[in-house]
Order: sequence, then structure tokens, then C-alpha cells
Amino acid sequence: MLELLVFLICGAIMVSGILAVTLKGVLAAAVSGGLATLFAAVCYVLLGAPDVAMTEASIGSGLSTVIFLYAIRRTASTRE
Amino acid sequence: MADTILLLAGVLVFFAIVFTVLRLVLGRTVADRIAAVDLLTVISISMIALYAHVGARFIYLDVALVYGVLSFLAVVATARYLERGL
Repeated sequence: MLELLVFLICGAIMVSGILAVTLKGVLAAAVSGGLATLFAAVCYVLLGAPDVAMTEASIGSGLSTVIFLYAIRRTASTRE
Repeated sequence: MADTILLLAGVLVFFAIVFTVLRLVLGRTVADRIAAVDLLTVISISMIALYAHVGARFIYLDVALVYGVLSFLAVVATARYLERGL
């Protein structure tokens, strides 16, 4: 069951990365990029590195998405 | 009996991730995608808790706790962004 979950998480990381590259809206792309790091944190837990997963979940999924949104807010001329 | 319940929980987590990622890919508005991301964080916490029981590594419950405390931050920040806050 563990291998199945790891393969599923890896597929979700790939889907999130492809979405972050191909989506038109900047906000949706930033959310998808944060989602890829969130799935990476789950993958770290399943592969046996809980401390790395905790750091990845706090910095990658939380802080980098907030910084992306702040940068979009400061630089965007129109919404989306 | 317990193995059957754990296998059923794993299958439910599998289909939850599949359908939520489908909603994320097909989502028409940004709010749909944000709701899908929020649901995926909850599914991830449940998956970590399930693996803590299956793998008999109960230190992972602490990871699930910190994950639950921190992972809503991106969703809250995105919601504030949509309300022209931040």
C-alpha cells in the first residue's frame, strides 16, 4: 500500500507542476506551485524523513506562497 | 477486521486525492482551486495519520499536528488576496 501511495503522491506532484507552468492566471499558478511543495512534504513523510517534511510544509507551502502573493500584489497592473 | 478497515481507509484516501486533483485541474475559477488545495491539505493530514498507524511510527503524529497548524496559512493568505487584503 505504501508504494501505491508514493506513486500517487509523485503523480500529484507532476500534475501540480504542469499546472503551475501551463495555467493562464498568475494566482492559480502560484497556488499550484505551493501545492507541489505540499505533496513533496507528504512524500518525505512516507519515505521516512519527518523533520524534512515539517520544514518543507512550513517554508515551502506556507511562506513561499505568501511571498508569491505579496509579489503579485506589488507588481500586477490588473487582477488575475 | 482492523486490516480490512485500514485497507478501506487507504482506498478512500486514494480516491479522495484522485477526485480532488481532478477538481483542481478542471476548476473554472480560482476559488474552486483554492477549495481543492484546502481539501488536499486535510487529505494529506489524514494520510500521514494513517501511515503513522500502519507503519507503527507514532512520531509522525507530531508531524501531522505541525502540518495541520501550518498548512492553512497559504489558503488564508490566498483568501485575503482575493478580498484585496494582504
